[in-house]
Amino acid sequence: MDFIWLFEWLEASFIADAAKAYGGVYVVVQTAHLMGLAMLGGMVIVADLRLLGVLMTGFPISTVVRNAQRGFNVAIVVLVLSGIFLAGAVSMKLYYNEMFLAKMIGLGVGILFVYLIRAPLLAREADELSPWLCRLMGTASLVLWFTVAASGRWIGFS
Amino acid sequence: MLNEWLLALARWLDTHAWSTGLHESLYMYAWIESTHVLTLAVFLGMLIVIDLRMLGVLFMDVPASVIARRLDLPMMIGFVVMLVTGFVLYYAIPVRTTQSIWFRIKVVFLIAAGVNAFLFRARMQDSSASWDLAPRPPRNIRIGAALSLTFWTVVVICGRAIAYDWFDCRKLDGAFMYWAAGCVDELAALEGGA
Repeated sequence: MDFIWLFEWLEASFIADAAKAYGGVYVVVQTAHLMGLAMLGGMVIVADLRLLGVLMTGFPISTVVRNAQRGFNVAIVVLVLSGIFLAGAVSMKLYYNEMFLAKMIGLGVGILFVYLIRAPLLAREADELSPWLCRLMGTASLVLWFTVAASGRWIGFS
Repeated sequence: MLNEWLLALARWLDTHAWSTGLHESLYMYAWIESTHVLTLAVFLGMLIVIDLRMLGVLFMDVPASVIARRLDLPMMIGFVVMLVTGFVLYYAIPVRTTQSIWFRIKVVFLIAAGVNAFLFRARMQDSSASWDLAPRPPRNIRIGAALSLTFWTVVVICGRAIAYDWFDCRKLDGAFMYWAAGCVDELAALEGGA
């Protein structure tokens, strides 16, 4: 599957013009992306460390995870919107960048994992789930989102 | 006077072989920089959870004092990692960073955020028993949380902007900007030529 049309569309769109026109605007959107990273990271860390039995122990998993999921939803929207804008300035470069591809695969897997596996499982019976399933989910989630963030950072160096 | 001292310090650090080595390394600088940025998720992540709780937005069914106390350790671990990697990043590029207007604004807001955190923490601990589960935290607590989020956002904006050369000494003009960015030689040349 070749997605070059998507990158070509982005390159020709007004988003690319806007992202290339003003350095100051670009920095502000980068900051929004970083604040989104921090917010998503915070929600993931609190929820996953609770699943691992490290943080917020003694409080029901369902309470911690439900609150964290609400924050996660906001963060992922901020990240995707700001990310599209940032990609607009360098879309053709990103098409050929392996780290960007790695990040997008990680992001896709992460979103499927969160909304199709994790959230439904935890929403139903979070406090009755086997502790090992919880630990497994917590670990998988931490590894996944770390990979997305780290490969994202490495786009800039590659 | 302060500008001269800071520049002298930076130039001395710049003579260190380790400073140049870090700056010119293939991967070490990138790894330290990535650690600095990714630790945002730990430090700012915990801070955002705490501040959103104090603003009355998230985790309202968990007592405020519990969130503040339990997330304190991971937040401080993140802060220490950011501080140490931040110093190393400064050490790798000391002169340009010293003369970066963004780095200077960043440090001012870091101090402001630190003072706010100090006051905020004391107020949080003073009154936590009385409003732990109140649907709307007290006004002073909400102001503290909003200021904290604002200051840290400015710190991130400035940190991100250090990477760009738009306001480097060679692109600046005028005595005030030279003074603000610490462009000691440029300011001397300007005043000498006048």
